[in-house]
Amino acid sequence: MNGIIDAPPGPLAARVPPELYRSGQGLRDEAVLPDGTPAPAWAEFFESCQRHGAPGLREWRETALRISRDRGLAYRPDRGEGPDWTLDPIPWIFSPEEWGVIEAGVAQALRLASAVLADFYGPQRTLDQGLVPVSIVLGHRGFLRALHDLAPGDAALGLGLAAFDLARGPDGSAFVLNARFDCPYGIGVALENRTVVNRVLPNLFHRCQARRIGYFFTQWFDYLASCSPSGTGSPCIVILDSDAEGESSEIAFLANYCGITRVLPSDLTVRNGSVWLKALSGLMPVDVIWKATHGRDLDPLEASWRWTAEGVPGMFEALRRGSVAVASHPGAEVLETPGLFPFLPSLCRELLGEELILSPAPTWWCGDAASRSHVLANLPKMVVKSVGHHSDFRTCYGQRLSSAELEELKARIEAEPERFVGQEELAISTVPTSRGGELVPRGAVLRSFSFLDAKGRPHVMPGGLGRVSTAEGVIVSTRESGESKDIWVRSHALDAPISLKRRLERTQVISQEVVPSRRGENLYWAGRYAERTDAIARFANRLVVGRSAGFQYGRELETRHEKTLVRILFSVFEAERWLVDAKEPDERLGLVLANSKCPAGIRANLSAFHRACMAAREEWSLTSILAIETARDRWFANAAEEFESPYRYERELQNLALNLAAFHGLNLDSMTRDEAWGLLDAGCRLERASILAGLLASLLEAGEPPAMGTLLNESALFVSDSLGTFQSKFHSVPTTGLALRLLLGEEDYPRSMRYLLDRLEAMLGKLTPPARSRPPHERIAPMRRDLDAFLARLGDGKDFSADVSAEALAVLNSIRDRLAALHDDLTTTYFSHADYHG
Amino acid sequence: MAETSVVRSMNSLRYHVRHRTAYRYSGRIDLYHGLVHLRPREDEGQETLAHRIEISPEPRVRVEREDSFGNRTCYFSVEQSHESLEVVASMTVLRPETSATLPDSGIAWDELRVGAAEKDASGVRLANFQLPTAAFPSFASVADFLRPSLVPGREAMALVNEVSSRIYSEFKYSPGATDTGTPLETVVKLKKGVCQDFAHLMIAALRSVGIPARYVSGYLETQPPPGKPKLQGADASHAWVEAWTPATGWVGFDPTNNVLPAARHVKLAHGRDYFDIQPVKGIFLGTGKQTLLVEVDVERM
Repeated sequence: MNGIIDAPPGPLAARVPPELYRSGQGLRDEAVLPDGTPAPAWAEFFESCQRHGAPGLREWRETALRISRDRGLAYRPDRGEGPDWTLDPIPWIFSPEEWGVIEAGVAQALRLASAVLADFYGPQRTLDQGLVPVSIVLGHRGFLRALHDLAPGDAALGLGLAAFDLARGPDGSAFVLNARFDCPYGIGVALENRTVVNRVLPNLFHRCQARRIGYFFTQWFDYLASCSPSGTGSPCIVILDSDAEGESSEIAFLANYCGITRVLPSDLTVRNGSVWLKALSGLMPVDVIWKATHGRDLDPLEASWRWTAEGVPGMFEALRRGSVAVASHPGAEVLETPGLFPFLPSLCRELLGEELILSPAPTWWCGDAASRSHVLANLPKMVVKSVGHHSDFRTCYGQRLSSAELEELKARIEAEPERFVGQEELAISTVPTSRGGELVPRGAVLRSFSFLDAKGRPHVMPGGLGRVSTAEGVIVSTRESGESKDIWVRSHALDAPISLKRRLERTQVISQEVVPSRRGENLYWAGRYAERTDAIARFANRLVVGRSAGFQYGRELETRHEKTLVRILFSVFEAERWLVDAKEPDERLGLVLANSKCPAGIRANLSAFHRACMAAREEWSLTSILAIETARDRWFANAAEEFESPYRYERELQNLALNLAAFHGLNLDSMTRDEAWGLLDAGCRLERASILAGLLASLLEAGEPPAMGTLLNESALFVSDSLGTFQSKFHSVPTTGLALRLLLGEEDYPRSMRYLLDRLEAMLGKLTPPARSRPPHERIAPMRRDLDAFLARLGDGKDFSADVSAEALAVLNSIRDRLAALHDDLTTTYFSHADYHG
Repeated sequence: MAETSVVRSMNSLRYHVRHRTAYRYSGRIDLYHGLVHLRPREDEGQETLAHRIEISPEPRVRVEREDSFGNRTCYFSVEQSHESLEVVASMTVLRPETSATLPDSGIAWDELRVGAAEKDASGVRLANFQLPTAAFPSFASVADFLRPSLVPGREAMALVNEVSSRIYSEFKYSPGATDTGTPLETVVKLKKGVCQDFAHLMIAALRSVGIPARYVSGYLETQPPPGKPKLQGADASHAWVEAWTPATGWVGFDPTNNVLPAARHVKLAHGRDYFDIQPVKGIFLGTGKQTLLVEVDVERM
């Protein structure tokens, strides 16, 4: 699409028509000049808007929302609560000249931050010289004294990735609102926004000659690789995230895009002074970590400020030994304090010998008497922030406080002035933002991303994350909901695509593809829960259909059949105790269809399935995610939690079966047959085999006489999705012997026990167990032997004596037990690493 | 630097200290990371004649290092499967036999100013010991307690000593009333606590008026009741406070016992608060509950 230019820039009316866009009153607008003409960088944009009109704007917005929803990105800024941010498709466009200033300013701010950090964790000359008040630094909760001997530069502790929030004042000059170094959120969102907006506005993107951001990520990856202390060609790089649920999925998006493994603290362990990743094939040494978590939570052994088990104990020791590189420096949070703002100009002169290009937002530190008086005298106009000591103070906006609250704030500042800064609330510039079919002006903040490479060269992303307030007004807070935007940086020439030579070079350094054990375990459980949900849905279907249509066996028999089938279901899933209080048929059905806790119910298993899938979301294609989300969302939206008449569920049971089938089909179709896939498949097969063994054993134990027995056999075949196969194969009523023949012994039949065991053996055989572990799949051969012996005894299944029935029961029970033991084996061998002794 | 006003005698007291920390687990533990501050400082006249830390099971990694305050730390990791773990520190320490007297700082508490660049005799920036920490995130909780002692113009060390005495007389020593996570506000409200709480309380009070104060961990020789033999393991880890003025340097105060620490106080380490120098800190990975047993014996030889 990008190659097609739909029209040359048409002649635009000299002024932006007010019906198209009316910029904010008395505020500087990014897109419209004071005389009402479009800013040069925005000419093509307004021309395009005019051509497409309100319907076009509406369509852009809807398309963007739809694409981003389907891609499944949930962005909650700074991991706050509240609603997700949404994407506004209207980009924020910068001319090459405007961007030049920003780029130079950000690069300088980054070099300055690096020099300041090196001093804080090193000689602290800036404190001796009084360039920075000592309490701002040493009192900051993110200043980690344990790292005093680890200044940046040692053990490749750099800034990793920095984010600066920039805004523009009425005079057009940009200033810094926030600086983030510890775990700067939003880079995954920026990447995602670009992907979506590029699909919504490909022609406009091309006509504006907007710069691409992919190369920035390539360079960032190369930088991370270059930090590796081992110096090998393919270092193990990981992104350390803190969220199992995929809520922070922007990190998963980033990891996927860069080809880096995303891990959680529990995936890592420190042994023998090095950091290891618990992978399916055992422990793998980790070379480079980029952390998207707070540095002060990184090592609970040495983070002295509180007891936390969330980190990786021993990590600082590994850092000191230089066996692992962490980008960014775990103590970099101290640089984020707004308490530094007033001192940045003099620090810049002293440390870099340069004048500061980007001013920080005007800030007064209350520890200084004159500044304090200024803040207190202007409190209603001030934004009061904590300098980041250990405290629970939340930022206060003076204009939103009552006079009593202002008095309280004043008292608090006077009691401990050095803990607070005041910032003037600023009239920041606005950018056009779509709302329905309209363009409205909204205060905007640019989050710019950058890093310093190992040689100290700054790299600034030619793009970023734009954020606008949802309502009119100038306050843009990352904690409150808002909208995000793509940032377009125009260039005079089209970006050269990444050269072939460069790509070839890139293949020299690739991060090893590793499946962390936790992800493997989640895939395995996703398989098990998918299969479990599927089986329960078929049980439920049988029960509901029986209720609505009847089986023509007479009412008394059917009532008894229903009761027995429910009992079998609950016994297969070891949930018998739930039946104690469920006396009525509807109550029992309610447990299966509506109850959200019952282990033999759909809701609990579907939730568990969704959770396991999301914890391994890197593995799925976008379409698979859609199937997973749809399976859960539809059932939860349409199958009432308060049990109603069973007929209501019939249709939803069909939909559920369809969505799960889609999930399985998509996996067959789109996943690589690697270890991850093997575990997913093994989970499915193992669950299916266990359910089958449990089902048939319960059936034999029930030992019902012919009429009832036949009906139950038919149900068992239905639940095993084999009724049709049975009928076309045997043209007979389902006797127990024939049903066993099919379900246990049929060759090349994916529903038969024989097939399932073979498949499990083959799948598990492909996994590499950690050294010195007994391969779990060796447990399957004895099961196969017993099964074959029984099948020989069963023959064609036509003669089925009480003796054969007893033997069948024994074999099924033994397979069930051995499958449970196999599960335990898989867990200890691949997932928990409990018996690893290095 | 200022001359120390603790009167030194030629004699020394020789102590043998044994500090045993034993964990038992209900399940098997595969990995234990430990960080201990169990080696006595060798400054301010204290000498260590012998020192040993025994860890079982045998750690795979064991490193001694000096932290940024000059304390000796030991990091270790036990990487074999185990159901119990033991750390035993044994040391023979020579303490100068001193009789402590309260020094005169020659400066009023409300005239004391410490510059941002000012360091103590060991080269550590004093500002480290003037700020709130996670153990006492705000000084506000101690303001009411401190107020009666803030007589303008009072000599600084006299103020410090009064704070120590008041904690001794107004607070009840009550093991079990608090734990290491109890906030200072609660201690002030309960008027109860143990040596660690009293040390934190005193440090917060002194820092709130700008007097540098630091947390000290160590041991105190205890006397058995008259006529009774001394019980094994009856002693405990102890904590007290040191306060600084330009003329005196660091001076110790033990608010739990209302004494100036002297020969019977064996010093292990000092830091900004307890969490800087926790004697034994460990994190285990595995399943099960732990029970902890700590025994300390301080014997005069």
